[in-house]
Amino acid sequence: MMSKVPDRLYIDENDRKLYDEVIVEIFRGKIGDEEKRWERKDQFLLAMAIGFKNEVRRPLKKKEGFIRKEYLKPEDKALINAIAIYDTGSIEVLLDKQKVFSIAEEYAHAGIRILHGEIKSGEPGSYLKKLEKDLFEKYKGLKNRL
Amino acid sequence: MRFEKIVLKNYRQFRDVEITFDKKSSNDLHIFVGVMGTGKTNLLNAICWCLYGDEPYLSKDSQQLPRVNLKAVEDAKLGENIQVCVEVWIETEERNKYIYRRRENFRIYEENGKPAPHSQTESFEVEYIDEEGNMKIFGDVKEELQSYVERFLPKSIREFFFFDGERLDRYFKEATAENVRHAIFKISQLDILDRVSERIDKILSEIRREAGKINPRIEETREKLEQKENALKEIIRMIGECKEQIKRAKTKIEELREEIARLPDVDALEDERTRLKSKYKEKISFLNEKIKEKRSLLIDYSKTILLWPAIEKTLKIIEDKRKNKEIPPRINKDMLEEILKEQICVICGRPLDEESKHHVTELIKEVKITSETVQELYRMEEFFSQVKEQIKAFEDRIRKLTEEIRQYERDLEEINKKISEIDKELLGRDQQRTRELHEKLSYWEEIYETNEQRLGMLNSQAKNLEKELDELNKQLDKELKMENQAEKLKRQIDFCKEALQVLRKTKDSIMTQIREEIHRKTREIFFNLIWKKATFSDVIIQPDYSIALIHQMGYDCLGTISGGERETLTLAFTLALHEVSGFNCPIIVDRPLAMVSGPPRKNIVNIFSKVSNGKQIILFFTPDDYSHDISEILERTASNKFDLKMSKDERETSIEVK
Repeated sequence: MMSKVPDRLYIDENDRKLYDEVIVEIFRGKIGDEEKRWERKDQFLLAMAIGFKNEVRRPLKKKEGFIRKEYLKPEDKALINAIAIYDTGSIEVLLDKQKVFSIAEEYAHAGIRILHGEIKSGEPGSYLKKLEKDLFEKYKGLKNRL
Repeated sequence: MRFEKIVLKNYRQFRDVEITFDKKSSNDLHIFVGVMGTGKTNLLNAICWCLYGDEPYLSKDSQQLPRVNLKAVEDAKLGENIQVCVEVWIETEERNKYIYRRRENFRIYEENGKPAPHSQTESFEVEYIDEEGNMKIFGDVKEELQSYVERFLPKSIREFFFFDGERLDRYFKEATAENVRHAIFKISQLDILDRVSERIDKILSEIRREAGKINPRIEETREKLEQKENALKEIIRMIGECKEQIKRAKTKIEELREEIARLPDVDALEDERTRLKSKYKEKISFLNEKIKEKRSLLIDYSKTILLWPAIEKTLKIIEDKRKNKEIPPRINKDMLEEILKEQICVICGRPLDEESKHHVTELIKEVKITSETVQELYRMEEFFSQVKEQIKAFEDRIRKLTEEIRQYERDLEEINKKISEIDKELLGRDQQRTRELHEKLSYWEEIYETNEQRLGMLNSQAKNLEKELDELNKQLDKELKMENQAEKLKRQIDFCKEALQVLRKTKDSIMTQIREEIHRKTREIFFNLIWKKATFSDVIIQPDYSIALIHQMGYDCLGTISGGERETLTLAFTLALHEVSGFNCPIIVDRPLAMVSGPPRKNIVNIFSKVSNGKQIILFFTPDDYSHDISEILERTASNKFDLKMSKDERETSIEVK
């Protein structure tokens, strides 16, 4: 039996402030409400990717809804699924969407803290440069496997 | 001739000074160096005062002061007399000496509790000493005395041997044709012919008046003739005035245009600034778009690249499952669950017995993946294949965007630089001054145009009057012929008219001859002196007295040459004037480097050094002008270097010979 599919992705309630601060640094510019939601989704996925890269998962203490499921595109869901598969080593995890979402949320919970820390410790505007550098390093390591 | 000595007693800054221009080599070059206010220019004034009784180069400060030395006034008792005396000793080519001596006596009175000098008497005398030492003093008839000055240094042409640096620079900047004509006229001393013409003109008028007494018709024609002649003279005077105004206006217009050209074109700059600002805005928005694009791309890539291990593992699992034929599943798990739920076989409709239930439950355990999950896996696989391709393009896409951003940043930097250059120019502009200059330019342009029109009108009036005069002259001739008694007078009139014509032709012919000679000499001297021999091909003094300096490319470049080159041309022209006129007088230049900067300074002093071989040259410098490189050149050839030193109380200048 498939578990009930959650209707949204959650963050820890203490993380909202961190997301807001991160948005100032990375997601600058005038954006509308619609775009804001997409930006929220990007923030979440970035935090999740960073948590994954650093191999840190952190259970949420007090959940707070962050992104409604309908804003997630199939590509976003594919990435969330892939983490769950990687983490559990099995595709059967896909049958348990609660777990899939929960894994993603825990990585994002850890990731947003790392991201926030990195942003705050660096010069203003320097995070994207650091990210670019990190991506190039990672890319070098994986381009032969593509 | 050359200056041998100058003696100054109580003259302005100089209490008791004797300057001897000993010639120690073939170069007759003498240098004076002194800071502003030590009296360099007053040495020139002293010479002028002694020779001509005036001081044309007085500064505004000196104009406020008496000619007598202030220290001498302070030291004098009330009622005492002080004598100011300047002696100029000259030596001719024949080794005769002339000593010009001018004295002025001052008596000291008291004014507001201070001693005040009052001029009492002035005297001038000339002492002549011949080669054998015989001495003669002239001092009685003023005109006779002045003639001893005029024969060597005529007052009317002193501007061609006493210069200041500014005049040397300005000479060929101003209305040159008029300057050259004036110089040639003066140096040719043709004013004597003008005076003769005036005299004959008077005689002619008297003879005609006499002839008028014989016959009333003759008198009537004579009167008309005289009226017309006077009218013509007036028109000629007005033409002269008009030309003078045109010349002044032309010079002013050129000066103003030059000054305006040096000012920034505010409107054009404002337009350019606006254009650059809008270009800047456009580029900034492009740059922001690119930055945004790169940011989005980085965030997109961060999801896929950082999650690559998960993607790679998922792809591997799907691949393995496919190999193990676990996907697609042989049995539809959802259908089994449906059968178990409904307790009826959905295929044959038979109700499930216990054995069948058990069998179906076992099958469900065996079939781990639902077809829905498989579909999801397939979609993931497809998407991740695209991700793979996208990641492959990562390096190129990011690098391309980075380069585009850099290019926009460079463009913006360039635009900003241009804007700040314009801002700087605009900041330096003086709107009030610009407006004033434009107003002045309009004023002088109007004067120029009005006088041009007036000149055309006057020329045509003069032509008509000449025609009328011609006819009246013919009529008078006819009437005189008819009257036997007037025959003798007619002959006299004819003679006078012919004499006037001869004088006019003689004047023109001498002027032309001298002009041609000066032209030839100026060219010769200029090309001997100028350091850029290959740049210029000719110096021409045209029949209308305009001067042209021809560039080797064939155009007249007089208006665009440097200060040093202009000074060289003036010097060449001056030397040519000296040579052609026969007045071999010294040249005195106050601050020859005042208007020259950079490397031509050395060239100019080299020229003076060269010219001093055969001509006495006296140069006045400030210590700033007399820099090390200049002194090195001049002191190789100079016979004397005099340092002017001011006393602490600034009342007296002493001269030290170095």
